[in-house]
Amino acid sequence: MPILLHFCEWLYQTRFSTSIRESVWVFPIIESIHVLSITVLVGTIAVFDLRLLGALMKREPVSVIARQVLPWTWAGFAVMFGSGLLLFIAEAGTNYYNLAFRIKLALLFLVGLNPLIFHTSVFRKVADWDLAEAIPLRARVAAVVSLTLWAGIIVAGRMIAYLERP
Amino acid sequence: MSILAFCRWLAHTWLGVTMRDSTWAFAIVEIAHLLALAVFGGAVLLVDLRFLGLGLRTQSVSRVAREFLPITGGTVTFMAISGFLMVANGPVRYYFNPAFRLKIVLFLFAVVFHFAVQVWAARKEGKGEGPSLWLKPAAVLSLILWLGIGVAGRAIGYV
Repeated sequence: MPILLHFCEWLYQTRFSTSIRESVWVFPIIESIHVLSITVLVGTIAVFDLRLLGALMKREPVSVIARQVLPWTWAGFAVMFGSGLLLFIAEAGTNYYNLAFRIKLALLFLVGLNPLIFHTSVFRKVADWDLAEAIPLRARVAAVVSLTLWAGIIVAGRMIAYLERP
Repeated sequence: MSILAFCRWLAHTWLGVTMRDSTWAFAIVEIAHLLALAVFGGAVLLVDLRFLGLGLRTQSVSRVAREFLPITGGTVTFMAISGFLMVANGPVRYYFNPAFRLKIVLFLFAVVFHFAVQVWAARKEGKGEGPSLWLKPAAVLSLILWLGIGVAGRAIGYV
């Protein structure tokens, strides 16, 4: 898509992008923040997903776990989004062509869609199954989809460097 | 046998040679290490947050510590194994890497310290909700240690 390519190439040659990319410390530090904050974003959502699968804290209502854990997930998301945006700006010109990066973005879109569907459907009636022994199938499917997509995103993210064209 | 001698020996084992020569073995193990880190980090974060009175507040310290023990214990074990496999790729090189040395020292201390606290917390039956005075500083130290291990791990590739 030419307009997207032009945008990425324009971004890539800006002083801001170049300074991050060519710095000795800045890029590695931002990347480290990004990698280590995976624990906050994905780690906490994994705990919630495990609750949805009945594997953890089964005696606590799902809605309570959601209320107590998800704010931390959002905090992690904010850090991941900010650091990810900076990394993208720094590498926009090469990321455009990188298959791993494209796959990562597609998976990120899907992983955003999943909770949207979950929260507007089966989670609306969570009061009915908050402490249920048998958790609704749709909730369990959402949890498995979430864990799978996040694992895929992490893998795709790691592959970006492997697919970098010289 | 000194540690350096062990590293030299490891490099020549089937494991060492495979991790060094296989194009995909190291990448797969590294990704597994990263995936386990995601779950371990989230679990340890929520446990330490609970010790600080944050996050899963309506469950007792003892309950949270107990329920998360299989997860924190399991994922950290997996990370130790996958980490060892990665070291087998070039044991002597890791031996001389200052970031790696720091990471191992911090890790040994962190794993003993954190799990001593988590196991202790899991065992104490909630005699009233008053956690010991030292639980909060212990949780802060735990978080700092694990963060330090993560940073040291990142630094391995740069020093």
